[in-house]
Amino acid sequence: MKQRARIRLVVIYIAAAIVLAGTVGPFLWLVSSSFQYERQLLNRPPQWLPNPIVLDSYREIFEGAVMGEDSGVPYQSRIFLRSFANSFFVAGSVAVIAVMAGAYAAYPLARLRFRGRQVLLFAILASRLIPALSLAIPIVLVAKRIGMSDKIVSLVFINLSFILPYVIWLLQSYFKTIPMELEDAGRIDGCSRLQVVHKIILPLSLPGLTSAAILAFLLTWGEFLFALLLSESPSSYTSTVVVSLFATDVDVSFVSIITAGVLSVIPPICFALIFQRYIISGLLSGSLKG
Amino acid sequence: MSQGALALIFSAPAVLIIAATILVPFGMAVFLSLHNWNLKRPGRERFVGLENYSDWLSDRDFWVPLQTTFTFAILAVAVIIIISLLISLLLNERFPGRGVLRALLLVPWAIPSVVNALLWKWLLNPQYGLVNAIFFEFGIITEYQNMLGSMPSVMIWLVIAYSWIHIPLATLLLLSGLQTIPGDIYESAIVDGAGIWQRFLTITLPLLRPMLSIVIIFEMIFAFKVFDIIFVLTAGGPADATNVLGWQIYTETFRKLDFGAGSSIAMLLGGITLALAILFYVFLDKGVEQ
Repeated sequence: MKQRARIRLVVIYIAAAIVLAGTVGPFLWLVSSSFQYERQLLNRPPQWLPNPIVLDSYREIFEGAVMGEDSGVPYQSRIFLRSFANSFFVAGSVAVIAVMAGAYAAYPLARLRFRGRQVLLFAILASRLIPALSLAIPIVLVAKRIGMSDKIVSLVFINLSFILPYVIWLLQSYFKTIPMELEDAGRIDGCSRLQVVHKIILPLSLPGLTSAAILAFLLTWGEFLFALLLSESPSSYTSTVVVSLFATDVDVSFVSIITAGVLSVIPPICFALIFQRYIISGLLSGSLKG
Repeated sequence: MSQGALALIFSAPAVLIIAATILVPFGMAVFLSLHNWNLKRPGRERFVGLENYSDWLSDRDFWVPLQTTFTFAILAVAVIIIISLLISLLLNERFPGRGVLRALLLVPWAIPSVVNALLWKWLLNPQYGLVNAIFFEFGIITEYQNMLGSMPSVMIWLVIAYSWIHIPLATLLLLSGLQTIPGDIYESAIVDGAGIWQRFLTITLPLLRPMLSIVIIFEMIFAFKVFDIIFVLTAGGPADATNVLGWQIYTETFRKLDFGAGSSIAMLLGGITLALAILFYVFLDKGVEQ
């Protein structure tokens, strides 16, 4: 029996090693590449670990952002940090606003009885079935007409609508887990509905609100289609757009392209690993990334 | 105040945002799809009824991308489901380090699709890519190749690159499904002398079926809408080999600036996606009841 347990563990760890290599391997290679000289990247066979550790491409991005055209750095590298800040602004704003508006919308869906509740819940979910591409066409047309194209505020607004249904769904299922007695006690003590939400529901839902905010941030950070279609200049490019500008340009050195890729996944990966519990619980109770 | 009025007030901000950015554009997209509306020929906009639709339905530029989309989606969903089922079975076993492995699954999940495309573009580089290097070292190929340069290898690698960031979520969802299966069912099966394969077929698979159906439906919907990775990795090429419907809509609308034709093909994509979702739902759900 002991023998069998040992064999089982060996099989498990071989499988786990394969999964581990497949999961983080490709990303680690990207990180390793970003710390090498361009000419080392062109080695055959490839050099697995950077030796020495080269920070040139990272310095380029910072110098380019500060010195502009004088730095002699490629265009994409110069505008990258700006786009990084834009991504933070858009994703951060969406996370905050989506959780605030979402929480108020989720409360009645979880707790109140009113006509059309089922319809509202269904409509909110169904809105996510419409492909973004078909909505993109009129949205771009209108944004250009009313002068809202090329503004990051527009990106906040558009991303909100895709994130909100998701946040509402997640929060209403979380609110349902809060014991009704607590709310009733508050009502008997003379709290209004709004006070019940503020003093009982929201404080008790902190874990749920946190997962919703983090997921909203991550989903918005990775959004590409609207970021691409609604931006025309570095003032509104997000990091995913600049990454695509890098990746589709053959004249930029590999190491610059790779470095931009690494930098733009640092925030989401750090977030994902730090808040993994919140994310996993949020993913399991809510919908999906897409 | 009645609960209905409260619900209205509470959900107003969220509902207004969703309506403004989803419902209104959807209505406009329907409107555009019924018109001749090309930005290159302003002033010639006119109502044409269902002409755009009938044009598409008799056009190879619709049927060929549709076929490509199907091929891509079926392959991608198959790869995602098989691999995530295997990983979730592994993570369902108890072993030291399981939590770490589960957390690290979030690394690919957190990577934005555009950065993922850039990562694979680097891995698959025809001259310096790691995939070429590894295949060469192991003697699988005798000289470096452009994996994205011809069929079928471009489709295979596109599917792998796409699946890489989609496997983690599918795995977590399937794992949560596995964890609802009570352990004593397995124990009594072992007593009855059922082997590991028999237990998988007679216990795991049937009891996992509801979650499996949900994951298949969602992944199918996502795969049908694929766009980001195409934009960076293949741009529909080589020679339209990866020209999926999402890419066709993009080029039609934002390169040829034919918003009428673009909207109508986008509607067709939306309709097909919805039909598939319903079909799968009915089909897979029936299977559960039996």
